[in-house]
Parts: sequence; C-alpha cells; structure tokens
Amino acid sequence: MALVDLFVLSCIVLGALSAAVVAFHPNILYAAIALVFSLLSVAGLYGALGADFLAAVQLIIYVGGIIVVILFAIMMSENIYRGRFVEGFRRFIVPFIISMVVLVGLVRLMRRAGWPKTAEIMNLPSTGPIGQALVGPYALVFQYVAIVLLSGLIGAVVIARPHYTETKGDGT
Amino acid sequence: MNGHFASNIEMYLFLSSLFFVFGILCMLTRKNAIGIFMGVELMLNAAALNFVAFQAFHRASPLRGNWLHGHIFGLFIIILAAIEAAVALAIVLRVFAVRRNIDPDQATELRG
Repeated sequence: MALVDLFVLSCIVLGALSAAVVAFHPNILYAAIALVFSLLSVAGLYGALGADFLAAVQLIIYVGGIIVVILFAIMMSENIYRGRFVEGFRRFIVPFIISMVVLVGLVRLMRRAGWPKTAEIMNLPSTGPIGQALVGPYALVFQYVAIVLLSGLIGAVVIARPHYTETKGDGT
Repeated sequence: MNGHFASNIEMYLFLSSLFFVFGILCMLTRKNAIGIFMGVELMLNAAALNFVAFQAFHRASPLRGNWLHGHIFGLFIIILAAIEAAVALAIVLRVFAVRRNIDPDQATELRG
C-alpha cells in the first residue's frame, strides 16, 4: 500500500464520518464544523485525482468562504445550544428508506457499469490549461457564470437589506 | 482492488454516493433552513467529485480527449455553490428577521 493509497483511504474515512455527523448531529453548529472536514476530505481527493487547481479552489471558496458564511448565519440566527430532534426517530423512517434505496441503486449501478475501473492517474499541472480553456472553448460559459454570479450577489444584497419603512413598494 | 485505493474509481464513487445519500438525509430530516442548505452543499460536492473522478480516469483510459472538462465543470459547480450560498443565506437572514425562527415547516405564508 503506497502512501497515496493511505491518503485516499484516510480521506474517504474522514469524509464518510464527517458527512454522517453533518446529517445526524442535533446541534447545527457541530454539523457545520463537521461540514468543514467533509469538504477538506473532498479537497484531498481532488489532489489525489490530479486536480490541483480544483483542490485549491475548494479550499479557498468552500472552506474559506462558504463555511464562514454558514457559521455567520448560524451565529446571527440561531439559539445554537438548543438541542433538536426531540420528537423521536419517527421522522427518520421515510428519509432513511429513500436514502437507502438511492444508495443501493447507486452502488449496484457502480458495480455493474462498464467504464474502466482502474487506471493510473497522471499528475499534470492543470492551472495553466484551465486558464487557457476558460478563455478558449469555455469563454461563453465563463461569461455566463460571471453574469449569474453578479446578478445573484445583487439579489442577495437586495434580499438581505434592512427593511426601510419610509420607502414604499421597494419589494422588501 | 487489493489495497490500491488511489487507482480504483469505485473508492471515489462510493464516497460520492455516501455524500449524496447523507445530503438527502440531511435535507429531509433537518428542521432548520441552514441544515437543509448544508445538505445541498454535500450533494453539490458529491456531483463535483464525480465529475473530477470520471475525468481523471477517463484521461488515463485509451479514449482520451481534452483532459479538462471534468475540472472545469467542477469549477463551475463550486462557483454556482458560492452563488447559492449567498442567496440562500440572505433568504435565511431575511426570514429570520421577519419571523424570528428559521423552521421551514412554519414559514407557510406563501402557501396560498
């Protein structure tokens, strides 16, 4: 077992455990902190898959940005040390059945599909080719994502703006 | 299979399936809008991990083409997740400012 195998195995174990904590922990703050570790394990798997730029982007945007925003929203809006799930496990039954059906279906599909299952992963530097592809064949999609990002951020600012009662009909 | 975890696509796809399933569970069982949002994040990560894993194993397979499609789609997924985080948490803060809780079962004014 090489070192990269050990790394991938530890990332998978860390990701599975922390995703379970995200799904099941009654305290939303601890679930958010477990989400940090599951995103970190995904970043490690990106690195093991030869996607170095994507691993860095995952670290910067997810762990550095989205998690901070989630923690900020939790601090702003929630009585965080109040326990939840007090109404028993009855509301877990139907979601558990649905998710088990989805998991069994995915694993069966994964075992029976005909794609190449093992390969040697090449570790080429991918930052420069990604930049060239973003201004080359993916330029239109890149501009489109930029427009979506701008309009989404403007919409978020408009939604989260404080309510001004002296202006009428401003949509808030 | 025997010990070569890094060069076997089923390891990555299995973790991706687990993320997707835990995302579904988190979405369906949380009584909290931020918890539901965290489930959506888990599912988006599962999809992006699938893209990158298939890209890596397709690049190494005999039928190779451009070896960056999966990376770029993963990048776009991350960008769209950032937009979604901004909009969703703005909505959560707005609902909390109006109703003083963020239980999605109780915000029923738009139900009609």
